[in-house]
Amino acid sequence: MDSKISIDLHKMAKFANAAIPTLAILFILGGTYLNFYLHFLSVFFIFLTIINFFYRHVQKEHGLLRNFGVMGQARYMMESIGPELRQYFFANDTEEMPFNREERSEVYRKAKNVDSASSFGSQKSFDATEIKVRHTMFPAPKEELEEYAVTFGEERGIKNTHTFTRPIAISAMSYGALGQNAVRSLARGAKMAGISMNTGEGGYPKYHMEEGCDLIFQLGTAKFGVRDEDGTLNDDKLRELTVKDEIKMIEIKLSQGAKPGKGGLLPKEKITKEISELRGVPQGKDVISPTHHAECKDLKTTVEFIKHVQDVSELPVGIKLCVGSVVEFRQFVCQMKEMNIFPDYIAVDGAEGGTGAAPKAFMDNYGMPLFPALHSVNTILKEEGVRDELKLMAAGKLIGPGRQMIAYCLGADAIYSARGFMLTLGCIQALQCGNNTCPVGITTHDPALQGGIVISEKAKRIENYVENVEHDFYQLLAATGKTNVRDLSIENLYVPSGTTLAEFTQDKAALAS
Amino acid sequence: MKKQTKAISWVLQIIVAAILMMTLPAKFSGAAQPVALFTELGMEPHGRYITAVLELIACLLLLIPASAVYGAVLAAGVMTGAVIGHVTKLGFVGEIGQMGFMAIGVLVFSFLIIYLRRIQLPVVNRMFGETKK
Repeated sequence: MDSKISIDLHKMAKFANAAIPTLAILFILGGTYLNFYLHFLSVFFIFLTIINFFYRHVQKEHGLLRNFGVMGQARYMMESIGPELRQYFFANDTEEMPFNREERSEVYRKAKNVDSASSFGSQKSFDATEIKVRHTMFPAPKEELEEYAVTFGEERGIKNTHTFTRPIAISAMSYGALGQNAVRSLARGAKMAGISMNTGEGGYPKYHMEEGCDLIFQLGTAKFGVRDEDGTLNDDKLRELTVKDEIKMIEIKLSQGAKPGKGGLLPKEKITKEISELRGVPQGKDVISPTHHAECKDLKTTVEFIKHVQDVSELPVGIKLCVGSVVEFRQFVCQMKEMNIFPDYIAVDGAEGGTGAAPKAFMDNYGMPLFPALHSVNTILKEEGVRDELKLMAAGKLIGPGRQMIAYCLGADAIYSARGFMLTLGCIQALQCGNNTCPVGITTHDPALQGGIVISEKAKRIENYVENVEHDFYQLLAATGKTNVRDLSIENLYVPSGTTLAEFTQDKAALAS
Repeated sequence: MKKQTKAISWVLQIIVAAILMMTLPAKFSGAAQPVALFTELGMEPHGRYITAVLELIACLLLLIPASAVYGAVLAAGVMTGAVIGHVTKLGFVGEIGQMGFMAIGVLVFSFLIIYLRRIQLPVVNRMFGETKK
């Protein structure tokens, strides 16, 4: 016999299953013969007996409930509050995903304009896999730092170039994924901060345009907003859009980090009258977002399509992709070289990128992470001698200045962040983006929940966040001894061998075609 | 929930709330009949007020869409108590007895509402093995 005192859940459940009907009977007797008030308890235990009977003998779906009855239900209840308990009480400051408390609170502090300095020491483990930026003994003097400016489209010498003057832009988030209050807060904040905002692939950017900020119109694989009925590009509709003052650039989305190689389906239930108009799709019919653009059948047609969009829009046209194979990417670049057609920028989306909803396997197991992908893209472009034909943007968990600086060192000219700005809006990482139940009202269309967002207040936070990121950006840049991000290179990084990046920096064969 | 199910549930909710509501003024004001009834049960006057307050809460919950199912559970609870009272003490004869039949009616309707809205109540939807909305 085990002499230790222990809790035997099996025995407890058996005891409870016997005790519940017994108590019901006892209270009925007590209520009848002693005091009628006891019947309040009779009713409770009668109900519990009924529930327990159904759990154990009627329902067939839950094995746990069949064996243990209401005691088994306790597990489901506990489990249902587990995520909150872990987040509130038990999770370590550095262990949550995708963003841990430390990373989140840095963004919150920047957004609220409170000092985001940390005390006593870093929470990271240093000898493991942390990529570090190399500083110099002689940081660049503040007055020598060059103002950040990246001009898209200058390589082609087009008339309508677009310049980023601050080192961050809001990455693609469509109306649909986000509610209108969130979209308008971001747009107003972008206007106040003077940064550009990507519209996402959600069609005509009605709410994005309301606040008058600079917009990058994203052309998704279904071409929402500018499509013909068969899902191909409607040139006239695109032209109509690109003549609008707010639209500064076009981005062709080839693939997305969170679900590279996957299309989507917009179920007919979600197609309200408004969505139908904005996206240019009929109501009452499911709409399929294909896995790739109908026009892009191979590398050649893809490059031709880029050229076509450049010609029609007369704006800088970039592409966004998550790298799958570096070999394929090199062939893509060779194709561009051969035809002498280049996108005005390539936005490299790391596999760690976010989304409203995607199958777990795509999120977890598909696509190259940002750092190795960005380094590979930059290196391949250089090796092929075409790095100067276009700009590079980086996206994928770049919410804090530290990771952003690493991306600059790996060749990025500009930084995209989506979730950084969502956190700025007050996102608490409840992970309910796909359920229409976002507790802070960002990724929901429920008017009651959206009420949580006061646009003027949140717009101010966006401005604060951008200002503080920029402040850190210049300090971090100065510490490397360089005066311009373009002077940064992989030489400015210390890459431990345990990182995914190391393979691509140390082993040249990994990048060979 | 299907439109039809919802409509049936709302009809039942309104009936239950209306019946409960009708008995409330007499309970609160201490009219002769409820006082006699609760004296018989040995619960006068506190039991009368507790029951009346619980019924009032049930009515309000029943008429708010998000909480209708909880109102039905509360109504079913109070009515179960009433039925027990009639079975053990009050009987089903005469004017007071009629109240007993009414209680049975309300109880059945409340259970129907709970059944129709079972998906909204995790503890109850598992009774039927359903967990998906």
